[in-house]
Amino acid sequence: MRVPVRRLLLPLAALCAFAAAGARGDGYDRWWEPGEGRTFPVQLDYPNDQGTLRLLLTGGPLETKGHPFFEPLGPNGRACITCHQPADSMSLSAQTARERWDTTQGEDPLFAASDGSNCPTLPQGDRASHSLLLERGLFRIQLPWPTREWNGKPIVPDFRIEVVRDPNGCNSGPKYGPAAGNLSVYRRPRPLANMKYLLAVGFPFAPKQGYALPLDPDTHKPMSGNLMADNRTGNLRLQMEDASSTHLAFARRLTREQIDRITDFEMRIFAAQQTSNRGGAVDTLGARGGPAKLRDSEPGQLGSIGEPVWSEFAAWEHIPPADAARLKPEELAFRQSVARGAKVFRDKTFLITDSAGINSRIGFGNPVRNSCVFCHNMTQMGNDVAPGQVDLGTTTMPFADPMPDLPLFRITCLKAPHPHYGRVFYTMDPGFGLTSGRCADVGKITLQSMRGLSARAPYFSNGLAKDLRGVVDYYDRRYNIGYTEQEKQDLVNLMSVL
Amino acid sequence: MKTIAALLMLAAPMAAQAQETGSLVRFVACPTYRDADSGRKSGCWLADDRATGRRWDVSLSPYKPDWNFAVLVEGRVTDAKPDACGAPVLDPVRTSRLLDQPCVRHMLPAEGYPGRRYKLQGRYIDPLSVPRAVPPGPYAERTFPVYFEFDNDFLIYQYDDYLLDKAVTWIRAAKPKKLVVTGFAATVPEMVSGQRIAERPEVARERAETIAETLRRLVEVPVEVKWQAGSQPTAEPDADRLPGQSQRRAEIRALF
Repeated sequence: MRVPVRRLLLPLAALCAFAAAGARGDGYDRWWEPGEGRTFPVQLDYPNDQGTLRLLLTGGPLETKGHPFFEPLGPNGRACITCHQPADSMSLSAQTARERWDTTQGEDPLFAASDGSNCPTLPQGDRASHSLLLERGLFRIQLPWPTREWNGKPIVPDFRIEVVRDPNGCNSGPKYGPAAGNLSVYRRPRPLANMKYLLAVGFPFAPKQGYALPLDPDTHKPMSGNLMADNRTGNLRLQMEDASSTHLAFARRLTREQIDRITDFEMRIFAAQQTSNRGGAVDTLGARGGPAKLRDSEPGQLGSIGEPVWSEFAAWEHIPPADAARLKPEELAFRQSVARGAKVFRDKTFLITDSAGINSRIGFGNPVRNSCVFCHNMTQMGNDVAPGQVDLGTTTMPFADPMPDLPLFRITCLKAPHPHYGRVFYTMDPGFGLTSGRCADVGKITLQSMRGLSARAPYFSNGLAKDLRGVVDYYDRRYNIGYTEQEKQDLVNLMSVL
Repeated sequence: MKTIAALLMLAAPMAAQAQETGSLVRFVACPTYRDADSGRKSGCWLADDRATGRRWDVSLSPYKPDWNFAVLVEGRVTDAKPDACGAPVLDPVRTSRLLDQPCVRHMLPAEGYPGRRYKLQGRYIDPLSVPRAVPPGPYAERTFPVYFEFDNDFLIYQYDDYLLDKAVTWIRAAKPKKLVVTGFAATVPEMVSGQRIAERPEVARERAETIAETLRRLVEVPVEVKWQAGSQPTAEPDADRLPGQSQRRAEIRALF
């Protein structure tokens, strides 16, 4: 058997990367290799630029040898763990992707041509062919067009898609693009942790869609609608089947046992920032940050009628003088900033305009005055208790920032015009519109969890914000909020400890 | 007899367009947003009736305007002081978005008006974690109406979800053999603010199918769908004494 020279060089390169790792405390155990057979402990800490992320696994340690989440199932050498790394809060940061490229010279299965490169037609040995993953943390998601329901039933869309810009070649040519029956968009992997919250159902209705919640095809119970960016799969089984057949290139169907074992792991894992480099442990002096609170709380609670969102840090609003005296001045200032950030998140209102899912079709009004918790309303998590398909404009003109390395599509509504964009408009990712087939849903992206953010930059589904300040700045521009510099820093500090 | 009297009472004030307390006003206007700020959802919606030159506070509508489109305003005059938003208050009131009539968006500053501090009240549902009280029997054939905005089949948040939640709670307890959902549309043209307005006949079917699909997701009872154009006003209390609202409805009839 001929072994490529590059493969033989990998261990040496990995050793060099270990030596150079530095601030993130990287080592061999930071990257979880598919099939390596490690034991997943009940508690696992990973340093990041802001402090330490902690993962808690309920029910005791897990032997990962032979476990379908950790074993490569398909021929490309990837496993679920490849793109859902514990150190990255069960997602994958662009920084980790870059480190992996440097460590393996691009040989890691992470960079599989099918979706770990900008397009399979590009020269795979070139770093530039993987720029979207390396710079923005994006994977290529190829979806059928026209769209189909989860059971393969076709949907007749009420809009037409034309490709305006195709910088990577995966939306044109004989194999790719709407003319070939598919569409490629580029998205961040969503974190597979704290799943009981993402699956929780708070109310029986989907107010943004104007129906009762759709039913799980397996259990016939209502589905939360909060799993995937475009809500194309509503339960974990469907999500696994989607991911295994695409990202893992697994040609067969997952067995019931494999689905059950992956589900078991995903429901047991909780992740959140545990310590801050600047503020210390986030569950001290009365604060209740960190993953233990997440593990022990009831999911699906609406902050406005129960425990307010991010009230975990309320005790830091008024730290008693005796306690304050035991902190370094910069630690005290940081904790006070986090507490202020939580209040800004809840209480600073602004006018939300022209955002489908908020201003239409639901009748809150356009505009409507509210704060971040209007949508980020679930206690402890900051995702939406109702299915969270909302158009913030992150992917759609004119609100999206220029991202010339992403494709651009012209959308033409064939029935009613889009309530905010009109008959014809432009998007880099139609989002939920690709699932529902409805023009009014184009640009909507499902809100996600706000936990473990420090471990998994960049942010938004298309990696628009390279850091937490970028998130705040985007909202400030989009809704003309007028945050003060102090408020911006307080929000960044808050998000850094979630 | 009581129903006829109620219907007469509903219809009578409309023609006169009197402005006394309780009278009905109905007009089409471009809405104005007043950026009052007493916290979340506290802004004001105002609308000017071109025929009378009067400005009304229409903020209490459960389905609020979009400043890019005209609204059909239907409401009853109150004697409330205009101190929240700077205009006399319509309550109850509905503001249906007319998406084929674009407007220039217009926002007024607060100008000292506080708006209304948001309170969770009226027609809202509890989370699923709160058990619903079982409605007492005996159970017999019964009809539950739900209501819509003009030419629209969208379930109105904190209105239709409340009505449906009540209906579903009763249906789960009563266990009828079948549900018949009938959608209605107000298709007879009327002149409002110099415009001839009428709902599309097909919205009756859209309403019926929306409610039927929602019921199929909530109860395990066979659902049959019907629809009917040219609907007439009713005196059902949840239409809030607004004839137009009562016409734009779907009815869920539980059969045993």
